[in-house]
Amino acid sequence: MTVTDISRRKKFFAQGNAYVPHIVVIEKIIEETPDTRTFHFSFKDEKLRKDFIFESGQFAEYSVFGVGEAPFTISSSPTRRSHLECTIKRVGRVTNALHRLGVGAEIGFRGPYGNGFPLDYLQGKNLVFIAGGIGMAPLRSLIWSVIDNRDSYQKIDIIYGARSPADLCFRYDLDLWGRDKTINLVTTVDKGDEGWSGREGFVPQVVEQVAPSASDAVAIVGGPPVMIRLTFPVLKNLGFAPEQMLTTLEKRIKCGIGKCGRCNIGNIYVCRDGPVFSYAQIKQFISSEY
Amino acid sequence: MADKKINKRDIAKLPNEWCREFSVLVPSRESGTVAMTRWDGKDIGFLDWYRNTVVPPRDSFLPLIEEMFSFYKDKDGYNIELPPPKEQKQLIFGIRPCDARALAILDMTFNDGYQDPYYLGRRQNTVLVGIGCTKAYDSCFCTSLGNSPTDTTGVDLMLTDIGEDFLVEAITDAGKELLTTSSLSKATEADQARAKVSEETARQKVTRNIDIRDIAQKLRASFEDQDFWQKVAAKCISCGICTLLCPTCYCFDINDEMSKAQGVRCRSLDSCSFPIYTRMPMENPRTEKWRRVRNKVCHKYEFYPMLFDAIACTGCGRCIRLCPVNWDIIQIIESVPTGA
Repeated sequence: MTVTDISRRKKFFAQGNAYVPHIVVIEKIIEETPDTRTFHFSFKDEKLRKDFIFESGQFAEYSVFGVGEAPFTISSSPTRRSHLECTIKRVGRVTNALHRLGVGAEIGFRGPYGNGFPLDYLQGKNLVFIAGGIGMAPLRSLIWSVIDNRDSYQKIDIIYGARSPADLCFRYDLDLWGRDKTINLVTTVDKGDEGWSGREGFVPQVVEQVAPSASDAVAIVGGPPVMIRLTFPVLKNLGFAPEQMLTTLEKRIKCGIGKCGRCNIGNIYVCRDGPVFSYAQIKQFISSEY
Repeated sequence: MADKKINKRDIAKLPNEWCREFSVLVPSRESGTVAMTRWDGKDIGFLDWYRNTVVPPRDSFLPLIEEMFSFYKDKDGYNIELPPPKEQKQLIFGIRPCDARALAILDMTFNDGYQDPYYLGRRQNTVLVGIGCTKAYDSCFCTSLGNSPTDTTGVDLMLTDIGEDFLVEAITDAGKELLTTSSLSKATEADQARAKVSEETARQKVTRNIDIRDIAQKLRASFEDQDFWQKVAAKCISCGICTLLCPTCYCFDINDEMSKAQGVRCRSLDSCSFPIYTRMPMENPRTEKWRRVRNKVCHKYEFYPMLFDAIACTGCGRCIRLCPVNWDIIQIIESVPTGA
């Protein structure tokens, strides 16, 4: 498999006007951290509820009517189809409006957009998931997908860090993954508190300490840009080739379909050519503004 | 070629004929600027003063702001309504070759992958009647980009000034269908020859040149030359006018507007000159001005050619003559280090 195959550009199919959102209804809200919530939601349209398909790593545009749209990854797994989930940190206008909504509220949803993680490339390999903060959201979709097809993959390492214990998302998932004997879960925080039994330190440092083997492995990195940029060299030192490092990039995205312009990194449009890229591709980007 | 001609005195007969079927847009000064606006059915006075519009005809396809759909809430939840489709066809009379070519360049983006229904809907609903230039601005440089003051790329019907008459040339089938008025007479060989002279004269009036040989490679080699880009960006005030009035700029934003219980989702032109354009809550890849200027220049002369094999510039010169601080794309392109 070549580098470009890893994040091949999906042919985008949309019927009718792709800018018009579908209506989805919030069914449950989970407080992940003081500023982050996971919303469980389903399409209002019953047929869409059955027909909608997506891949881990793909994103959608969510809108609070009257406030605006913002892009978020779908944080639930395509293998668990009872509803969809997205995990949203309260940082701006749209996210604040989303956080003010309750169960039963209707929001706009259009997607899925982007390329998603290449499952065929990951199958049969050892997987090393490395995430920081809310950067776990797209990885978590993939992790559940891998767990639900556990026989297709080898060893699983998960290294997950946050600023503080209270900033770790998906603690209910971490509990389950921690108990799973086929998964090596390592959690870390910048600074622990009294009850903290995990590690302390930034994610790249902890990756260095855990030193996952590069043999027949693929590392999947999700987190803030600075964490991603600092993790690649650590993985390189551990023997990971550029093709063995995947990440999902975040940019300001408006249209989601390669028209509005703002998510470009040189000639690359993150919404359409990504958001999943291999480090081999990123190294070839004209611009280092990723 | 069975070209036609029309005497300049009879020129108003053309839109008079066309306005039965089309909403005819012509260059007008009424709005305080020069823009394509709906013809009032009177004279065609613009021929006396018109060189080109300030607002590019792009705005008839990608407006400054447009309604994508409206929404309202009732007891069953949210409802979405699309704006009614425009029944009447549109005709732009007097588009300049550079701006028609710009639309052909924009088509590449809006046709690529997902076909944008708003832009393409208007494109398919519009006929373009070009008028070749006889005068140029000091800032025009279309001839350096393979264009010319009488180029027919993108137009359906082309008018070329041949003295007392315009040579009228149908470029597409849609253009042929416009040749119904009885005021047209058959063009002679002498008329064709006059058109050639007119074209050459117009070419001579485009005095500025830009050397675009290997420009994509040069920009690629100089991409990380921060000193160069800082120099280039030094006097830019990030006002965005060069992008908002560029006929090949298309970046847009999507926002909601509310009035009482009814809301509208709008698409509006945006500009890569603004720091907010790429701003995310925690991060912004282009806070520094030189990065934005670099992106703008490279998008037109390096990235667009990589994506579509076409430079996203037609040499219309608007970004030069309308810039409040005399930023000059030609000087910048000329000064890109060879990268050697």
